[in-house]
Amino acid sequence: MMGGKIKVLYIDDEPNNLVGFKASFRRDYDVVTAQSPAKAWAQLEMHPDISVIISDQRMPDQTGVEFFEEVRERFPAPVRMLCTGYTDVRAVIGAINKGHVFRYIQKPWNEDDMRSAIEEGHNYYIATSMLSERNSELLKANTELDKFAYSVTHDLRSPILSVLGAINIAKAAKSTYEVHEMLDMMAQSMVKLDGFIHNIHDYYTIKRGELNITEVNIPELVENLKGIYNLEGVTSHIDFRVSVEQEGAFRSDPIVLYIILNNLLSNAFKYQKRTRENKFVRLLIRVKNNELFIEVEDNGIGIHEHYLDSIFDMFYRATSEGFGSGFGLYNVKDALDKLNGKISVASKKNEGALFKLSIPGK
Amino acid sequence: MKTVKRYHCIIVDDSPFDCLIAEKVIQNTQRHLSVTSFQDGGKALDYITGLGSKPEMDTIIFLDIQMPVMNGFTFVEQFEELPAEIRRGYGIFFTTSSINQNDITRGKSYKSVLNFLNKPLTTANLQQIIDKLVQ
Repeated sequence: MMGGKIKVLYIDDEPNNLVGFKASFRRDYDVVTAQSPAKAWAQLEMHPDISVIISDQRMPDQTGVEFFEEVRERFPAPVRMLCTGYTDVRAVIGAINKGHVFRYIQKPWNEDDMRSAIEEGHNYYIATSMLSERNSELLKANTELDKFAYSVTHDLRSPILSVLGAINIAKAAKSTYEVHEMLDMMAQSMVKLDGFIHNIHDYYTIKRGELNITEVNIPELVENLKGIYNLEGVTSHIDFRVSVEQEGAFRSDPIVLYIILNNLLSNAFKYQKRTRENKFVRLLIRVKNNELFIEVEDNGIGIHEHYLDSIFDMFYRATSEGFGSGFGLYNVKDALDKLNGKISVASKKNEGALFKLSIPGK
Repeated sequence: MKTVKRYHCIIVDDSPFDCLIAEKVIQNTQRHLSVTSFQDGGKALDYITGLGSKPEMDTIIFLDIQMPVMNGFTFVEQFEELPAEIRRGYGIFFTTSSINQNDITRGKSYKSVLNFLNKPLTTANLQQIIDKLVQ
């Protein structure tokens, strides 16, 4: 009921004025009054959502200008308006210079003028508070950009420098075998670089893109993933077990879902334990009551419990094994946030990892 | 006749490619240099601690900066906690792809770090380092 109303604090040492103000405006605004600056402080503490403060100038303990000077320090957000019956030029100058008041209102005020002053003051308040919110968002985005630029520079440069190093060695090589060894390395470095560029692309798809909601063709999604990972399963002797249970349709963004699944599966295949027999990756997809449940499990190198809290952080890597960039799980988490989904992970070092996800349909 | 001093080399880099490249460069520069590589800084520190005290500097460490779990800076900080009779056996060089000025300034601020080398390591670079150390 009160949520949408403008909250106004009116201060005057004359009780009749307070009653009059309340009578005129209580239907349209949420009116709070105080008979002295001392009492006004209590109201400001109690009502942090006050957007407009109107104060009388001539009061026994403190003038309106003096009061506003202090308000500016302690509660800078609300808009301040000074009300006085005397054409007191000194008060007006003080109000502007020291109290930074938004408006000066002449007593006795007329209801329409007062109303328009309150509305304009409130709009100004909304605009400035939105601005400061945007500013803190920008500050956060800038910090992230710094971190991004730092890590991206490293991750883009390091495969290039590996290749340059390999070229130097190939030039000085005494056997074709050594040249081939270096060519192999260059190829793998380029695959790594390409993978990283794909990750950046995913990052922007998730961060900046609008969601594109359609009915998700689950069998097709699964076939696409099988197309990539069945082969890897065969060549690396990893048993890829896929099960799908679907009851009813599911609406979401198929590209974002694909990014999530692809990243989780890529990790599950990448971080296998070389020496383990019966290596497996298990994918379960279940749609029920317009909700999607996903489980991705493997019996690979696992994640030390120390690092479980950090694995979704940008550029965080919990191991030096494999060619991770610290981007994959960050993208997964970011994508899930966009779809209002949840993720949990259970893992033990050297035993494997199990990721469980739930995503509501749109 | 001049006796050539023989150095050992330790490479600490999370990229197996870069370890291999460094190994090859070292072997191409001076055949008799021995090389041990670590992809994990913690294991390299264990190895160094295990070797114990040394009479003089006979080992060069080529250390990457950006590595997961333990980065090059943490490695140096933990290395500097080791007893002096162990530490005196090693000279550390950062080998990195970083062009970040903060990294470079911070890298040079450690007293056990001799210099800051850009990747990729080349035979010319390495020869220069050894010549300087021998002097």
